[in-house]
Amino acid sequence: MVNDAGQLYTMEGIAAGVIMLLTAYIVVSTTSVYTAGDTHIPDMQLEQLGSDVLAMMDTPDTNRGTSELVGFVKNGTRVMMGGNTLRDRFLAGCKMRSGDPDDNLRAQVYLSYRTTGGSVNTTPLSSPDPEFTGRENTVRVTRWVQLPTEKPPGIPIDMSNTRSKAVLVEVLLWRA
Amino acid sequence: MACMNEDGQWIVLMGLLVAVGMFFLALIINQSALVGQTTAEGVLEFSKNDIRDLREAVFDYVNASTTLAPGQCADIQKDIVAISLERKNAVVSFSAGDPQHVSGRWLHPVKIHYNNGVTVYNETVYY
Repeated sequence: MVNDAGQLYTMEGIAAGVIMLLTAYIVVSTTSVYTAGDTHIPDMQLEQLGSDVLAMMDTPDTNRGTSELVGFVKNGTRVMMGGNTLRDRFLAGCKMRSGDPDDNLRAQVYLSYRTTGGSVNTTPLSSPDPEFTGRENTVRVTRWVQLPTEKPPGIPIDMSNTRSKAVLVEVLLWRA
Repeated sequence: MACMNEDGQWIVLMGLLVAVGMFFLALIINQSALVGQTTAEGVLEFSKNDIRDLREAVFDYVNASTTLAPGQCADIQKDIVAISLERKNAVVSFSAGDPQHVSGRWLHPVKIHYNNGVTVYNETVYY
């Protein structure tokens, strides 16, 4: 039954198989060339999604009420309903769609404000993401928020509490 | 070459055609890497969300200006101008005038100017 003839045919068969696989791969991959022009599409989608979610959170439930977002910002870095809750609710809003739980989505919330000295300061509201390396491809979405005269609890000490103020909520959004 | 062996000329000719064809295909694939680069850069640089964001903030400012003291409004305006310059690299200026009678309603003429060096946006909107 078994003999040692036909090695050359075997090699030829293997070479033919490799060539056919290579051909199929090249043919399939040339139909969709991933050009430099396509790279911005996921970024744009992520930016639009984050922007929409922030707009949704900034919409009050009732006429002339305060929005969820303003409530979180007023609590600053406090544990209860502060920056971390803001981040979690924001991510929950981003993932609010059918099917995909999208566990890779991460966010970090910052607050920019004008200090009593007149300079602009930026401080993190949510606790830092332990896996953030600084090399992620992030997008930044922002929302302006107006805070009343009184100093809300948990807000940085150099923020003025004798006047109304406009502050900027910045959310860094990326896929891990 | 002549009179040596004149067989297989069709094969050589078709081989030449295929080689030229492959050369052109390679050229096209090479060029396709650049397709849409300027479009992508244009889309990414255009600050659509920043401008929308600023408009919202200005409308909030106009809403607040009906209830707050003038000094407080100036503070909010200074906040927005300073933070825009610092965090968004944009020169921003806006003002709201006295209400005018427009289409049966009293609306503030709001002037918004935005310039981040690439995109310039000017608007007068009645709010």
